Amino acid sequence: MKLDSKIPNGPLAEKWDKHRFDMKVVNPKNKRKFSIIVVGTGLAGASAAASLGELGYHVKNYCIQDSSRRAHSIAAQGGINAAKNYQNDGDSVWRLFYDTIKGGDYRAREANVYRLAQNSNLIIDQAVAQGVPFAREYGGLFAQRSFGGALVSRTFYARGQTGQQLLLGAYSALMQQVDAGTVEMYPRQEMIDLVIVDGKARGIITRNLVTGDYERHVADAVVLATGGYGTAYYLSTMAINSNATAIWRAHKKGALFGNPCYVQIHPTCIPRSGDYQSKLTLMSESLRNDGRVWVPKNKDDNRPPNDIPEEDRDYYLERKYPTFGNMVPRDVASRNAKQVCDEGRGVGETGLAVYLDFRDAIRDFGRKTIEERYGNLFEMYEEITAENAYEVPMRIFPAVHYTMGGLWVDYNLMSTIPGLHVLGEANFSDHGANRLGASALMQGLSDGYFIIPYTIGDYLAGTELPEVKEDHEAFQEAENHVRQKFDKLLNTNGTKTVKEFHREIGDILWNKVGMSRSESILKEALETIPKLRDEFWQNVKVAGKADTMNKNLEFAGRVADYLELAELMAEDALHRKESCGGHFREESQTPEGEALRDDENYSYVAAWEFKGLGKKWDLHKETLDFENVTPTQRSYK
Amino acid sequence: MKISMSVFSTLGKKIFMGVTGLLLSGFIVIHLIGNLQLLLPDKDPFNIYAHILTQETGSIIYIAEFLLAAVFLIHFVYAIIVTWNNWQARPEGYRKVKWAKNTSRRSIGSVTMIYTGVVIMVFLVWHLLHFKFGEVVYYTPAGYDHEIRDLYVIVYQFFGNIINVILYIIVMALLGFHLSHGFWSAFQSLGLDGKRFTPFVYGLGVVFAIVMAVGFLFLPLFIFMTTGGTV
Amino acid sequence: MENKNMTVYLTVWRQESKNSKGTFVKHTVEDVNPDMSFLEMLDVLNERLIKNDDVPIEFDNDCREGICGTCGVVINGTAHGPRSGATTCTVRMREFKNGENIVIEPFRARAFPVIKDLVIDRSAFDRVQNKGGYTTVRTGSAPEANSILVPKENADEAFEMAACIGCGACVAACPNASAALFVGAKVSHLALLPQGRPEAARRVERMVAQMDEEKFGACSNHGECEAVCPQEIPITAIARMRREYWKSTVKS
Repeated sequence: MKLDSKIPNGPLAEKWDKHRFDMKVVNPKNKRKFSIIVVGTGLAGASAAASLGELGYHVKNYCIQDSSRRAHSIAAQGGINAAKNYQNDGDSVWRLFYDTIKGGDYRAREANVYRLAQNSNLIIDQAVAQGVPFAREYGGLFAQRSFGGALVSRTFYARGQTGQQLLLGAYSALMQQVDAGTVEMYPRQEMIDLVIVDGKARGIITRNLVTGDYERHVADAVVLATGGYGTAYYLSTMAINSNATAIWRAHKKGALFGNPCYVQIHPTCIPRSGDYQSKLTLMSESLRNDGRVWVPKNKDDNRPPNDIPEEDRDYYLERKYPTFGNMVPRDVASRNAKQVCDEGRGVGETGLAVYLDFRDAIRDFGRKTIEERYGNLFEMYEEITAENAYEVPMRIFPAVHYTMGGLWVDYNLMSTIPGLHVLGEANFSDHGANRLGASALMQGLSDGYFIIPYTIGDYLAGTELPEVKEDHEAFQEAENHVRQKFDKLLNTNGTKTVKEFHREIGDILWNKVGMSRSESILKEALETIPKLRDEFWQNVKVAGKADTMNKNLEFAGRVADYLELAELMAEDALHRKESCGGHFREESQTPEGEALRDDENYSYVAAWEFKGLGKKWDLHKETLDFENVTPTQRSYK
Repeated sequence: MKISMSVFSTLGKKIFMGVTGLLLSGFIVIHLIGNLQLLLPDKDPFNIYAHILTQETGSIIYIAEFLLAAVFLIHFVYAIIVTWNNWQARPEGYRKVKWAKNTSRRSIGSVTMIYTGVVIMVFLVWHLLHFKFGEVVYYTPAGYDHEIRDLYVIVYQFFGNIINVILYIIVMALLGFHLSHGFWSAFQSLGLDGKRFTPFVYGLGVVFAIVMAVGFLFLPLFIFMTTGGTV
Repeated sequence: MENKNMTVYLTVWRQESKNSKGTFVKHTVEDVNPDMSFLEMLDVLNERLIKNDDVPIEFDNDCREGICGTCGVVINGTAHGPRSGATTCTVRMREFKNGENIVIEPFRARAFPVIKDLVIDRSAFDRVQNKGGYTTVRTGSAPEANSILVPKENADEAFEMAACIGCGACVAACPNASAALFVGAKVSHLALLPQGRPEAARRVERMVAQMDEEKFGACSNHGECEAVCPQEIPITAIARMRREYWKSTVKS
């Protein structure tokens, strides 16, 4: 298979305009004849479904939640970037493009990222017209803030609920189309297989999560916007129901998977407190503006934090990175936290946490100022931990937060399966090896509002699409396959619960394909994962029946997929012998212990082709050419 | 279409409830002021007031009475409909209900509106039967050349009966509960609210409820305690 | 280490499907860590049920950080449990006493039929929302963002209204199962912004009509909704909706 990224020719700034002109357009009269399935109702899915409906296509939109308004985009806190330059601080499309490429450690496509930066401004306009209440100044204009270490203030925000407000904006656009009759909603439906007819994506099989029925849905094109796969790690900041099933099953049907090892681990989460823990809660990284990160100098120092004198504390980030100090990027902060915990200097009951101390900030600025800046975060922290962070230091620990990898797509956001388009976090995306803060919302909405409406038209107008019915044998086959799979899950009746398996695979990924990776450890992972998978299929215990609502069965299907995906993540991490962004290979570091890229050998997207379980994946490489920026080594000393 | 919408929607019905409720509140204020004349040892002022009101205002009194009856009826019928619909809105109740407190304005008054309302309605019938359509005594007050009704004596006789007094006191207390929620709620139902206005109206409602209840129940109590019904 | 773990006695609503008859079932959960969230306690119970070949309790939940609005049960008579301004998922076991009896019921309303156990169908909210809970704006047709000026006070109040997570606790707590706060919040959010004004009258009429169609009760101004709302949306939202409703009626 030859990967064709379909990046248009011409100067970077003109590629998208030119491409929009070059693309075929569907005759307005014919649009209603085309049906499009959109799976997922997050920022990418909802905005795509709404925009496609508006254009006149017959759109069917699916989500696993009880309402399309609940997709996990809703939990994004910080904000959304745009190159509006409202602050007159020198921002521009070019600067946003440059920061994003650099932040991604030069592992993303220039053309995609530039287009993303161009669309960023349109997104703000669109959201505002929908009534998204971004923060404003007294004059009635918008307020922006600097976020994630950016040198310009380009982040629009709605308190700490920007994701929620943008999602509700997209949701309202979607509801308008439902009202207009162009979009049909299918909530509480889980896509469990992709159906391919004559080499093209022509439908999906879903499980109705209320009745347990298997349903067949036909369309002329399929759009996946089902989010990332961070829940493979068991504990993450992701929602409980976020999962990889839609993209994984599409992968097994032939869609290549790009850069599966690129996972973002966020440094400031509330640490876990016990085995029962079901998820981790993120706290804004803005806390690091004033908090000082430290651990005791000596192992086994069990004194309460406030009893540990200054000389016995190790402010390790300030020590190692005198310039950036506590403000180093997410991956650096996370990795260092892991390191000190590995040395046995971690704090708290589990030893898996470091202190984030506001003592000095309170001394310098007064408690009131700190309260004004972070009051709600301190409150949330106290709600969860029952500790008052004004009195004792917070305990924080990194947690899986975002997956940069995903299904490989070309410039048109189409995967290697014709007709299968992938948007948002579900695709391998524009973030390279590391995503900058406030960029995820931007990408999801850019894909949904301003890219797919054009590119899908090009596909539909230029493709032979003979009529397909639900009783087509491809649907029959796909349904039988998933039916058998679910029956097997229910009938195995072993001794270990789905959750126990999920926790185990999560532990393997976290410890072996986590913040710091090495050849020997990854090889261990590649040995244990298939074993665990075999054990799963022989010994899993799933409760209840198939013909009813059964969340345990839903989870079993998803965990079965993690057990396969995990292997590919380890495989990808093993093959990429360089360190870049969120992927840190111990073998590839500078003398100071920093991530060391290898542009000569690894400046490419790794796209993996599924060959069958138990067989090795085929690696396809899409070389990344940098014509407009020069890759440099990051330094935060 | 718009009219029907306003009359039959949940919001529209509550608007009617609010408007009629406030009108009725106005009515009882006037009623109470009129009643105060019963506290006087001289029966003439009250009787003359009642006479002028009923006999010398021509057809105005009939129109007023008709409107008042209509207001009562609308308030009552809508209350029944709204409550019935509200009961239908939760066919299966909770095993355990705990009031949320916090900022909630749920109170004994608010959850018993329909019951206090029905009691007041029944009371009203009894009240009218006795004082409006009941026994009639005539006399000629000083300065008059013809007889007028002596309602004063009827009232005094009526409240000579301890049972009547107790019933009145109970009903007036219930009226107080009704008003304690009804008054501010009427403003809220009309959409009249504001950061300072609403707490003010809420407080005013409580004061209003107490004043009305105490005002009305004081009368029978006063009559019973002072005269025992003998004029 | 001292054992700080606790035991709680649950009385949980179990109902097999929409049309079957439900009943309360008692479960004892031992060894509950007070740091657990309420839903994690149910997770632990479910794991034990599964191991014993029992059917786990179905309950909706997703983000587990209080923003998606998926979770929601009535705990000991209060929607989302004892603490105000919280969703069910942010309730912690330390808020209960060791040995406490805890009654867990689904949100109850005719408009929210039970699907299974504690899971309810809140699609009525979506149907209300799609009757005008939006501004009609085509993708790509929006004017430059800063060309619409909105005073900070209005923007802040609009945000407060827009913060609704659609969990349905307002309906669950309302003695009348009224959805006035939910609808009021959406109507107010858009009525407060210039972008929402052109369709304000049509919006409030259609959304209220749909709300009634769904058989929610009428608001009697008890204010329970505001008290249990995880986002603490005030009932001024309802008053504003009524004003908008008035205006639309008078206008026509």
